Amino acid sequence: MNSTVVTYLSQSKELTNAISWLTKALGFDASSLVAFVIFLVACLIVVGVMSTIGGLGTYAERKISADLQMRIGPNRVGPYGILQFLADGVKMILKEDIIPSGADRFTFMLAPFLCLVGVFATLAVIPFSSGFILADLNVGIFYLVGMASLVGVGVFLGGYASNSKWSMLGGMRGASQIISYEIPATITIISIVLLAGGLSMGTLIGGQGGMPQEWYLFHNPFAFVGFFVFFIAALAETNRAPFDLPEAESELVSGYHTEYSGMRFGLFALAEYIEVFVVCGVATALFLGGYKVPFDLGTGAILVEKLGMDEMLAKNIGQLLEMGAFFTKTFALYYVVIWVRWTLPRLRVDQLMTLCWKYLTPIAIFNLLGCAVWMYAFDGKSIYSLIFETAATVAGHH
Amino acid sequence: MFTNTLFLLSAALTLGGAIAVVYSQNLMHACIYLLASFFGVAGLYACIGADFLAATQLVVYAGGVVILMLFAIMLTGGTGNNINRYGLEKIAAMGNKKTYFFAGITAILASLIVLKIIANVLKDQSTTAVITANAPTVERIGTLLATDHILAFEISSVMLLGALIGAAVISRPRKERHD
Repeated sequence: MNSTVVTYLSQSKELTNAISWLTKALGFDASSLVAFVIFLVACLIVVGVMSTIGGLGTYAERKISADLQMRIGPNRVGPYGILQFLADGVKMILKEDIIPSGADRFTFMLAPFLCLVGVFATLAVIPFSSGFILADLNVGIFYLVGMASLVGVGVFLGGYASNSKWSMLGGMRGASQIISYEIPATITIISIVLLAGGLSMGTLIGGQGGMPQEWYLFHNPFAFVGFFVFFIAALAETNRAPFDLPEAESELVSGYHTEYSGMRFGLFALAEYIEVFVVCGVATALFLGGYKVPFDLGTGAILVEKLGMDEMLAKNIGQLLEMGAFFTKTFALYYVVIWVRWTLPRLRVDQLMTLCWKYLTPIAIFNLLGCAVWMYAFDGKSIYSLIFETAATVAGHH
Repeated sequence: MFTNTLFLLSAALTLGGAIAVVYSQNLMHACIYLLASFFGVAGLYACIGADFLAATQLVVYAGGVVILMLFAIMLTGGTGNNINRYGLEKIAAMGNKKTYFFAGITAILASLIVLKIIANVLKDQSTTAVITANAPTVERIGTLLATDHILAFEISSVMLLGALIGAAVISRPRKERHD
């Protein structure tokens, strides 16, 4: 059985007692019912928190861009303007929902939801902590790649259905860009899978440690280069600058969502900001040690040993620390994404394709080979442990 | 119970999507229904514990094939109106004698094949398939691909390479020879 949020919670005595009590009261085995309820609540929490993060992403984008351009940014709604995204949401819901007369109505209405469904489905395997992961599938990262490609379909259909030349060009650019950059991103993911020896998020993070030298980023030189390849490809896959050609406002008005108004446009924007969080989370999980915290704090073993805490309480504290580690790293990457957007100029279409097919893909394949050779030659040891061992043997001779 | 619910949902999605593909007048809509059908098939794979196959179905069909089909339909202008300038339907009518004849023969053949396949199940009710525990299939598939089925694996990769080169050759702009 895959480890899920339910398997973590079922370690506690209270839940076991509650299940047995419910089984007596209802007259049938209540464990699957309780599991269903827990999943429902956890899904609602994840979707709610992620939507808030997506909304706050728009606020962060404006505030950081304002910082970089020596402006103040939004400062009217709430303290420091932090409620600006709620005001925007209210505005979008109240706006008239316009569907162009020549639009393909069915596809036009479906496209934003396809984008949003694709992004929300990937949240099922995002490892927030070792206990709080909705489902640690055996094929976790592979499932994530598959689900994320649904966003490309949504972007393309949105551009097609609007019956507008700007939207059409934006949609075609978006789809071609997403399916092109999926290749270097996936090959880089495979090279990390090679290091970890498994596709599930638990295995991928389990091979790393809390300290930076135990991360896959510093495992070997190929993985180090791979991180940057993955990050560039992820930027392009989420249509973020400098790869925001599908919505290049200087040439395409607003790209594939030109004709969208009101909440349908809002769903596109929300999907984009949540997707940025998801790809940053994946980069964290693959390269930056994910939720790992140093000194066995994650399992709470050290708290039980030194402070004599209750085991479940120590575990819960460990989970909170792990979540803190995961979110800190992910938000740091999120900041970099926004920073890059307001720093670098946009690429041309031919430069975009040249970068993908002539540079990133060959580098990614070379990294894959390099990782395989490294695993074979050095028995899967990281460069840090190799240096450490060599130093220890050299010191031992004297 | 959850597996049964999942199975019923996936089966309904697969069949409903497939029927909608056939009955849809608009090629673009048919492609979207096909996406739904592919998702249903992935759900069916997940029901029998083939997690890797389900994820592959999503990556290959939902992510790759559907987008390529959408591109192909859009670039060839397949969504234009079906009536030509003389007011006649461009798509060949389905209801003439020839189509009924061939469709009938195909249906009989297909049903015979299906009957042959499920005959054993119908004969012996006791050997119903039992879902095995959710053992990870990735490692076993990898081992089999790299050992027993290495020849098929290599042949298919060579075939894909051939298709790739062929596509590049066809789409390459030819240099006009000036003499």
